[in-house]
Amino acid sequence: MSTLVQQQEVRAEAREARAQGARDAVLRTILAVGVGFILLPLVIVIVYSFSSVTYGVFPPPALSLKWYGHLLSLAPFREAFARSLVIALAATTAALISGLLGALVLVRARFAGKELLRGFLLSPIVMPKIVLGVGWFIFFARLGLQGGIVPITLAHIIVVLPFIINILAANLIGLDISLEEAAQDLGASAPTVLWRIVLPQIRSGLIISGLLAFIVSFDQVESSIFLTRGENNTLPIEMFLYMEKWQDPTIAALSTLLILFAGIVVAAALLVARGTDLRRMITR
Amino acid sequence: MKIAGTTALALLAPAMGLMLILYVIPLGFYFINSFHLFRDGRILPIWTLQTYVNYFTDAFSYKIIGESVQLSLVVTVLAIVIGYPVAYALHTRVRGAGARAALSLLLFSPLLVSVVVRTYGWFILLASQGLVNTTLRAAGILTEPLSLLFNFRGVVISLTHIMLPFVIFPIYSVMGRLDQSLKEAAHDLGAGWWQAFVRITLPLTMPGVVAGALICFTLALSAFVTPRLLGGGRVQVLPLMVYNNTVEINWPTGAVSGLTLLLLSVAAVWALNAVLKKLPSV
Repeated sequence: MSTLVQQQEVRAEAREARAQGARDAVLRTILAVGVGFILLPLVIVIVYSFSSVTYGVFPPPALSLKWYGHLLSLAPFREAFARSLVIALAATTAALISGLLGALVLVRARFAGKELLRGFLLSPIVMPKIVLGVGWFIFFARLGLQGGIVPITLAHIIVVLPFIINILAANLIGLDISLEEAAQDLGASAPTVLWRIVLPQIRSGLIISGLLAFIVSFDQVESSIFLTRGENNTLPIEMFLYMEKWQDPTIAALSTLLILFAGIVVAAALLVARGTDLRRMITR
Repeated sequence: MKIAGTTALALLAPAMGLMLILYVIPLGFYFINSFHLFRDGRILPIWTLQTYVNYFTDAFSYKIIGESVQLSLVVTVLAIVIGYPVAYALHTRVRGAGARAALSLLLFSPLLVSVVVRTYGWFILLASQGLVNTTLRAAGILTEPLSLLFNFRGVVISLTHIMLPFVIFPIYSVMGRLDQSLKEAAHDLGAGWWQAFVRITLPLTMPGVVAGALICFTLALSAFVTPRLLGGGRVQVLPLMVYNNTVEINWPTGAVSGLTLLLLSVAAVWALNAVLKKLPSV
């Protein structure tokens, strides 16, 4: 009798193991297909940047570097890239400073209506970008502030500010306040406490929110499209307008360079973040 | 460091100043236009509700609103149906912090690249002689090329791809907080994998699903670049209407369209937040 029960158990276990194996295989496939789907448009863009023909035939009949040559001959893209870089850096810096101070108040001060204030400061996230874009268009036109990069930079500060406040506030909540109190007891002024005690502890939050803000600013189309007039196009708008007219792989060549650029920016940010963690571990 | 009184005001001043001047006032300028009227190619600076009346008695407006909601709903459902299994597979089948971080970065990587670039990628993929059509025909699934560009389908595919990371990560992070002992208890009590999944994992990860749906729906609702570049003029959604109205200097109608878009977003946030509050928390 007991052997029969044992046999049944062994069989049940084998069945369970087979089912487990099948589930494993299915889930691995799902993961592979999911990652493949996510990466597919980026991979195809890189492949097509080396295509020898204009139109999207798969597979490309032959390989060529001519689209890179064509891209380099187009000065507007180069200038737009530099413009976008300056705008993203300026907007990120301004938003980091004002956002850090604002986040400090949101986390450390107590007053009535704080949740309302938080909601207000974070509300640009849900505001449709095209609505903001038209709003800025009318606003800057009324002010007579048109063209150049100043209006676009000011607009981007508002676009990225909520992301920065949100991430920095989340980082500040976790801090041990007794460290700061100890420093103040030892005679440190408030700015010193902020610079020497608070900032080093939220360094990764500063890097991540800064990186996110940079990327978000660098990718603005709707919010800025009414603020550009050709001479001051940002890179995504230059690409968007080019794509409305032409669909040749020049955009693919540019996109490949941008993918490379994004990779470098992220790798650099990771290295900086990793480096600070390492330093902190060594000095501890 | 505690902050009180005038210090708090001083620290808030830069952020609040920027928000008031560059956010409240421009939005005010924008929405004030909804109370003016556009006639004979120019904006009449009179105070009237006529633009609202015209907008909401025009069948075309409802067509646009319907198409916007339909697009966002389809994209949200697809993104969850695809994203949930991927998050589950990432959670259950990938061991080791390094492998998880690497895969997360890969799944997140499209967000580092401009939405124009991603839309261009789908433009190449969905062309009649592109990879998707070539593969489907080679596999014998299709005999004629399927029209995927410049219509609703192409916009749905491309937008779903754009939204996937926003759906995968909330679900994945909720799965990480799930108490594993619950699943083990279910197994000890004789529940099979499927039963444990349906009765334990799925209900307890619903907050992640709803959070993902919220981000996905609102972002899809205000998507502009993809419907514009891949819709070929056949996918008419609210952000495109706002754009067209503004280009035609019809700011009053543009303002009412924009206000409608905003109200739909707020309604979605409110509804999904209400659902979120009713769900069991992990």
